[in-house]
Amino acid sequence: MFKANITMKTALLGSLLVFANASIADEFTDADVKRWEQQFMDTVKQGRELWTSPKLGNNGVVCAQCHPNAANTHPETYPKFQKQLGKVAPLWEMINWCLKNPLEGQPLAADDPKMIALQAYVTHERRGVKLEPGKH
Amino acid sequence: MSTINNSRRNFIKHSGIALLGSSLPISLVELAFAETTQNFSFAYISDSHIQHIKGAEFVRNWDQGLKRAVAEANLLTPKPDFVIFGGDLAQLGTKEELDHGAEMLSALSPKVHHVMGEHDYYLDLGEYWEKLFGPQYYSFDHKGVHFVVLNSIRTYDEWTYKRWPTNVQRMAEMAGLDNPNGSPFMVGDEQRKWLKADLAKIPKTTPVVVFSHSPLQKIYKGWNFWTEDAEQIQAMLKPFKQASVIYGHVHQIQYNQIGNISFNSVMATAWPWPYPQAYAQAEQYLPKLTVPMNRADPFFERDATGWQFINMANGRVDMHFSLDSNNSRTVGFNKSKKRPEDTVYPSEAKRTAPQTHY
Amino acid sequence: MRFIIVLTLSITSLFAYAQFVTGNADTKPSPGTIKQQSNPKPMLGLPPLIIPVDNPQTQAKIELGNKLFHDKRFSIDGTVSCSNCHDDNKAFTDNLPVSLGNNGKFGTRNAPTVINAAYNKVQFWDGREPDLESQSKQPLINPVEHGLSDYKPLLTIVQTDPEYVTAFKSVFNINEKAITMDYVAKAIASFERTVLSGNSAFDRYYFKGDKTALSEAQMRGLQVFLGQGRCVSCHVIENDQALFTDSKFHNIGIGINQIQQDVPKLAEAFLAAKNKGANVDISVLSDKKSSELGRFAVTDVLSEVGAFKTPTLRDIELTAPYMHDGSLKNLNDVVKHYNNGGVTKVGDPVNPYLSGGIRPLKLDNNQIDDLVAFLKALTGSKAANLAAKEN
Repeated sequence: MFKANITMKTALLGSLLVFANASIADEFTDADVKRWEQQFMDTVKQGRELWTSPKLGNNGVVCAQCHPNAANTHPETYPKFQKQLGKVAPLWEMINWCLKNPLEGQPLAADDPKMIALQAYVTHERRGVKLEPGKH
Repeated sequence: MSTINNSRRNFIKHSGIALLGSSLPISLVELAFAETTQNFSFAYISDSHIQHIKGAEFVRNWDQGLKRAVAEANLLTPKPDFVIFGGDLAQLGTKEELDHGAEMLSALSPKVHHVMGEHDYYLDLGEYWEKLFGPQYYSFDHKGVHFVVLNSIRTYDEWTYKRWPTNVQRMAEMAGLDNPNGSPFMVGDEQRKWLKADLAKIPKTTPVVVFSHSPLQKIYKGWNFWTEDAEQIQAMLKPFKQASVIYGHVHQIQYNQIGNISFNSVMATAWPWPYPQAYAQAEQYLPKLTVPMNRADPFFERDATGWQFINMANGRVDMHFSLDSNNSRTVGFNKSKKRPEDTVYPSEAKRTAPQTHY
Repeated sequence: MRFIIVLTLSITSLFAYAQFVTGNADTKPSPGTIKQQSNPKPMLGLPPLIIPVDNPQTQAKIELGNKLFHDKRFSIDGTVSCSNCHDDNKAFTDNLPVSLGNNGKFGTRNAPTVINAAYNKVQFWDGREPDLESQSKQPLINPVEHGLSDYKPLLTIVQTDPEYVTAFKSVFNINEKAITMDYVAKAIASFERTVLSGNSAFDRYYFKGDKTALSEAQMRGLQVFLGQGRCVSCHVIENDQALFTDSKFHNIGIGINQIQQDVPKLAEAFLAAKNKGANVDISVLSDKKSSELGRFAVTDVLSEVGAFKTPTLRDIELTAPYMHDGSLKNLNDVVKHYNNGGVTKVGDPVNPYLSGGIRPLKLDNNQIDDLVAFLKALTGSKAANLAAKEN
């Protein structure tokens, strides 16, 4: 109890110091948070559009045909061993496998905004599920 | 990949019946053939989602699924009495897709009865489909069983007739399983009235089997694993001694028992769907009885797809699932428990790892 | 000359396994002991090998198995040993499309290599036997292979030939009267468990990071193998090992394509015969069309019509011709068959029972050449040495 009090006081002192010198800290406001969350949700929305777009691949097949609401994509289990790739792989490599195979299309670069949007959507649909990397 | 055991082989030899490729365990075979009246079989193929790309090009994956089911169903001996196609022959309801699908189905030797799916319907409200396959709802009798086919994928008139600027958009909106712009399926007043009159002519001791595309029970509304007027249909089936509903749409094995009505789903030939509990953001009501099918390896395009061979055993349906790259599954009606039961995986302890969905 | 090479090979194998070969005669395991043992230091690229607990590896047993494997007296006409079709000098195949048995008779299937068969979860192209022990007994009494009508002639030889009597005594601690086929099969299986291939150029590149082990073309070929070629899903590579097989059965459009129209009648007739007691082993090796039913002939499962076991790709360069019927002459033809989506000739009809994993790959000729170059990097160090000696 006594120890905890000390810690709390130290923490308070720490935050006071931060207030004293705003330029050295990662400080942000509610408005910042709102804006950033909006930007994330816009990315999720773009991801959802790609997820249901016949133009993402070459044969008109869309991701959502097999994965409604991105179900059974299990983003919380990556990286994991993926039989189709013969190695432990992150989610984006498996997305590319799907783009090349069921969708008969072209893969995306890891940092392609489309790939980021797809991952944002998939992960958002799975929010709240605990991380279990490697799970099968 | 089960093997036909010796006792079953002996049974087959003595009965003179060879069930090609089935792995019906002996208990079920006995159940099926214990009484000789009203015993026959039919095949059930569903959800092929033939998808047109352009010109003469179709998505090969889905084509292969239907071709395989047709070829395998043709290997059954003795031949099934008839085949049911359970709906969603097409992906976007176009003439090209329906024609191409019908052509592949024409290789089946027995007569085919068709059920309407939403992917067949929402482009022209079934007009071209009717030209190819006949009426959208009807009934027929076969060897003492009354079979009813319903179009269960209609919805509110406002949605169908007023909501969308074009037929193409209406079709596209309904084609997305998880599309929040969709609308719940229902049989509707017109067909319920017809069904009431149709069933009124049938003695309550006659076994009734209803084929619909959507589940005639409420499982998960978000993906239309749902029929809005399910309870009203169930009420009409309640007075019958033996009633069964067989439905497509869900692309997975499901079974349930509500009162005296057995519910069995059939597999898709195109692709499998996740069980609704795999969607973490919504409540769902997957029947507790159901032992899930295995999760699929997408490399093997036919994995977790299949078709079924159904034994009518004295008015009850015993479902035999022919699954690619998977053990065959049999869900038979357990007389003592009065409900469908998987004959191989009836208990938690017997489930294999890929049957766990999360 | 052959005997010397065989001996060299066996000794090399034994060297690798010195640590798990025990000097004891067979003893029944006491209850509660571990069910299996495995070699602690497998070759680079191979997983530990599981040895059945009732058939531990011993040096004497391996030597006995080697002798049995090469004994031509175990055949109706005195010309056929196991090594006729599983020739040590031909990477344990015969380099024929289908195997030549007694009196000039041909079977219906291509001799699968013994190399790494020890890792197979089931044996034969259609997996009709579970292990090497049970597999080794079948060809001896198949009419188109060794052609013996039963095991008596073989048992008479091993029970009277003084060399065998002595060997069985020292290996299994049994006298000649007690020698049965189970002991013969155990010895042959033990020998076969030494026929292993790993430590190829691929293994050194992939698992040891030796960037010089593969040529530029082979490195590109590996990427095709893992990616657009879709090879790796069945010919498995993992993070620390690669057996190049999934031990499963797939219809890849070989053999079955030519009998598509006959399948309904053929399947019905085959099952009817089987239900009346016909021997599957004899039927599938004597009748070309029945042979093409593949795994279905064993399991009666519809989805396995025309399906055969995924073979390993190790030493694949040395085991031509290819496929279960030996119908493709070289690796280029094999890759083209897959590239066409399961048909050998472009435009031929795809069979409806085709595995869902097989579809057109859209590889260009350069990619095909690279992939073939990569396959040649799977030749094991032992086989490579052997090939070099031959040349």
